Amino acid sequence: MTIFLKKFGTTLNGRQFGRESFAAFGPSLRDVKDDEKIIVDFEGVVTFTPSWGDEFLGPLSHRFGERLVLKNTENPSVQATLKLLGSIYGTNFLSIF
Amino acid sequence: MYRFILNMSLQLLTISQAANLLGVSIQTLRRWDDSGGFPSTNRETAKHRHYIKSDIENYIKSRISSLSLLKIARNWVANSKGTEPLPDFYCPDISVFQARLTRLENELGNVKRLSRIFPLISAITGEIGNNSFDHNLGNWPDILGIFFAYDLAKGKIVLADRGQGILATLQKVKPELANHRDALRTAFTEIISGRAPEYRGNGLKFVKDVVIANEMSLFFSTGDAKLTIQKNGSSIDVQGSADDLHGCLALITF
Repeated sequence: MTIFLKKFGTTLNGRQFGRESFAAFGPSLRDVKDDEKIIVDFEGVVTFTPSWGDEFLGPLSHRFGERLVLKNTENPSVQATLKLLGSIYGTNFLSIF
Repeated sequence: MYRFILNMSLQLLTISQAANLLGVSIQTLRRWDDSGGFPSTNRETAKHRHYIKSDIENYIKSRISSLSLLKIARNWVANSKGTEPLPDFYCPDISVFQARLTRLENELGNVKRLSRIFPLISAITGEIGNNSFDHNLGNWPDILGIFFAYDLAKGKIVLADRGQGILATLQKVKPELANHRDALRTAFTEIISGRAPEYRGNGLKFVKDVVIANEMSLFFSTGDAKLTIQKNGSSIDVQGSADDLHGCLALITF
């Protein structure tokens, strides 16, 4: 499954917005198979912050672990946010380009 | 009929509408009118005071050009009595802030010299503003929301809130914090949450890391403490301040 973050907007900021985004997408995760990868695609995102990222990527990372794969993470705010969240979660996010 | 035409051509505002735009009380506008400092447009002939909308807008612009955004925000945070900021600077809730942040993001994207770092400027602006809302929701001491203004020609973004301040917020999870300076240093250097037991409170660390790694600087003040962070800064230099702010004040320069 691929999650296209730009469908939530280009300015992904704020815990409240992050929570609402994850809650809205939650039902789509019900049918994920046990061996299926979850690809989060950052293409089109302009501003990405730890507050939004923690509320959205945090639950995904907790549930799917190494099956969570990030794509198109070149944006500098994406890079900076992933670096911080990775250090807090004690994980290195797997990125593909 | 005459009044209708006048209203259409000059866009007359009632004193209540003018007061809202200016961010002052109706009583203040009446005093200004009586003293001649800021006269209404038809006091001699009409029963009620009215103002020409363009006069109000020009007055606001003149204030902005004569005072720096930082000074306007500082005055707002330092004032013992809370009043709502001018509407152009006021985000009463996070949805307004989010909309204005998106507008800032678009305008930053059009500045050629910022083409590489504008997402980072937008991101740290978002985190500082978001921090104010997250830590004060339901607990604003007087005025809800934040002051948010920017001048891209001068490369400056100003945010402020009249919230609880960092010391009161962090003392809930770190009671040993004794003063604003220690609280400010903690906020920018430790992974700690002011919303325990939730695992949060990393926004200002993110801001610090981004500023240190890029061509920008940050001035941040809360209570009687202040700090400045610049590119390649190796340590957090927190100092005492002559101010005693009621919440937080931030200036991002780039």
